[in-house]
Amino acid sequence: MARWQVMIIRLAFRNIIGSGWRSLINVLILALVLIGLIWAEGMWFSWLNLAKTQQKQWEYAAGILRARSFDPLDTFSWEKGYAAIPEQAQKYIEAGSLIPVLFSPAVIYPGGRMQSAVVKGIPASQQILRIPSQGLNGQEEYLVPAIIGKAMARNTKLQVGDTFTARLKNSDDAYDALELQVAQIMNCPVPSLDIGTVWIDLDSLRKIKQLPEVATIMVMQSPGLARLANQDFRHIDEKEFFSDLNQMVKTKAAGQMMPFSMLIFLAMLAIFDTQALAIFKRRKEIGMLSALGMTKGQIIILFTTEGVLYMLFAALAALPLGFPLFYYFFAHGLALPPGYDSFGIAGFDEPLKFHYSIPLTLATVLFLVVLTAVVSWLPARRIARLKPTEALRGR
Amino acid sequence: MSDYIASLHKISKAYATGHGDFYALKDIDLEFREREFTGIVGPSGSGKTTLLNIIGSLDLPTAGEAKVMGLLTSQLNARQAAALRSRHIGFIFQTYNLLPVYSVYENVEFPLLLLKMKPEERKKAVLAALEWVGLLDKQKSRPAQLSGGQCQRVAIARAMVKKPVLVLADEPTANLDTENSLHILQTMQNLNTNLGTSFIFSTHDDKVIRFMKRIVRLIDGKVASDDYQAGV
Repeated sequence: MARWQVMIIRLAFRNIIGSGWRSLINVLILALVLIGLIWAEGMWFSWLNLAKTQQKQWEYAAGILRARSFDPLDTFSWEKGYAAIPEQAQKYIEAGSLIPVLFSPAVIYPGGRMQSAVVKGIPASQQILRIPSQGLNGQEEYLVPAIIGKAMARNTKLQVGDTFTARLKNSDDAYDALELQVAQIMNCPVPSLDIGTVWIDLDSLRKIKQLPEVATIMVMQSPGLARLANQDFRHIDEKEFFSDLNQMVKTKAAGQMMPFSMLIFLAMLAIFDTQALAIFKRRKEIGMLSALGMTKGQIIILFTTEGVLYMLFAALAALPLGFPLFYYFFAHGLALPPGYDSFGIAGFDEPLKFHYSIPLTLATVLFLVVLTAVVSWLPARRIARLKPTEALRGR
Repeated sequence: MSDYIASLHKISKAYATGHGDFYALKDIDLEFREREFTGIVGPSGSGKTTLLNIIGSLDLPTAGEAKVMGLLTSQLNARQAAALRSRHIGFIFQTYNLLPVYSVYENVEFPLLLLKMKPEERKKAVLAALEWVGLLDKQKSRPAQLSGGQCQRVAIARAMVKKPVLVLADEPTANLDTENSLHILQTMQNLNTNLGTSFIFSTHDDKVIRFMKRIVRLIDGKVASDDYQAGV
């Protein structure tokens, strides 16, 4: 670093310290904005991570092979949304490293009310996903054990032991019915596996559908099984599977960032105002610096550096000021009010414990430093138009 | 480089006003040599400060040629003009214009940092400059802790620390009492004699005029007289 650059930093530093309360207020405002941003990012970062972890544990595992005829966005495709399991996949299914799951649209009648649902058949013996499928064992002659989630139980007013009818189409497009009994109400953090879903044993569903050896999806225990993808099943990689979640978190985060954007705007306004006022009040100093031989560029850099230093001081202040808040949410988490699970994404079933991404935090600080530099530079540009003689006269 | 450290040829400076151009300087022809101790004297509005600003390359004439250290100021860009001021010209202002957040030592050191001087040379030069003005014991003080006379002495040290060829002083004693004014003038006179630095003052203070070797009198932007004082 050149000596004049060191000199500028030193002078900028002294000017900030010398400004006393005005500097302190600016630094505190910027520190509060930074704390707020890091907190909010911690929340979204942790939520996204938790949601992904939960979806992997409950739904995705190491990957999914999905029947090409099944389009999750087109409910009309669901009736025929399945394909024959390839022969080479059988040994993995038998070994338990691949789980076939069959979906079927259905109408259920809990307590005599009619309600749309999706009946999903899963092997009771599977051990890859956290769905408590062992509860699907022990079928009596006409009563098929079913598992539903808490949200589904709330919506249907069903309790363990209750029976209800499900009407669905078989492969001949003829309606058939199953008499289901709630064997278990699971506490599933992934709403898409809970809301509107009834889980039964795969064999029972295949039997009523008259569709042996077919599946809508196959959940993989290891990523290597992606090679089983063929003309009937396509491999859904993580990027594709989590794209909706990523997009949703991004959208919600952007919405939630509005108040913080306002805070950033106000903080930057404070910096802009301070700098504009400083340039107005310190004209004689600008003239004197010019007379001493500083170029206008160097003087502009001096004023810009002062703005950037405010932000760097704020970053230093944010560490001790924000630590109690950051630690509280790291240790105790954020308990979300009831109703948040209606967001339709995973991650809302328990207090959300915050984790803070160091690269993300550094990027936030860097972003604010750059923003502060720009905001400080904007009024400082006027120095270039200032005549040294007029500046010396304080005009 | 010519024999003159500064030469002005047919210099005019006009400012646009609502009633046409106002001439602060008109057809000025002046030369300044090394070791001169010159006072630009005249009433308020006679063009003294404008003349100093043009010599200091802080301003450009509307017409005519100003040469400083052999360089035509009208041909210098902003960076070259800044370099000229940084290397060869020292400024002393009526209101001292010290950096309030810097100590006396740092204020005096400032011009040397712009010259990229090495730290040990810098320290030597700063201490020497403070010794010239008798403020070695105040080097850690801030300007706010000093009297007006002491502040002006710091300003002199700051102007002199780089041993410039020329020092331009705009009404340097206007804010000082008689005793401080005399002290300041004696200090500058000593520096002029011992270091050979040329001084050009703008003033209308009789106390200052008595110290000048050469007096250039300006009236309404024109040179009314240009005399050397015997016995100064």
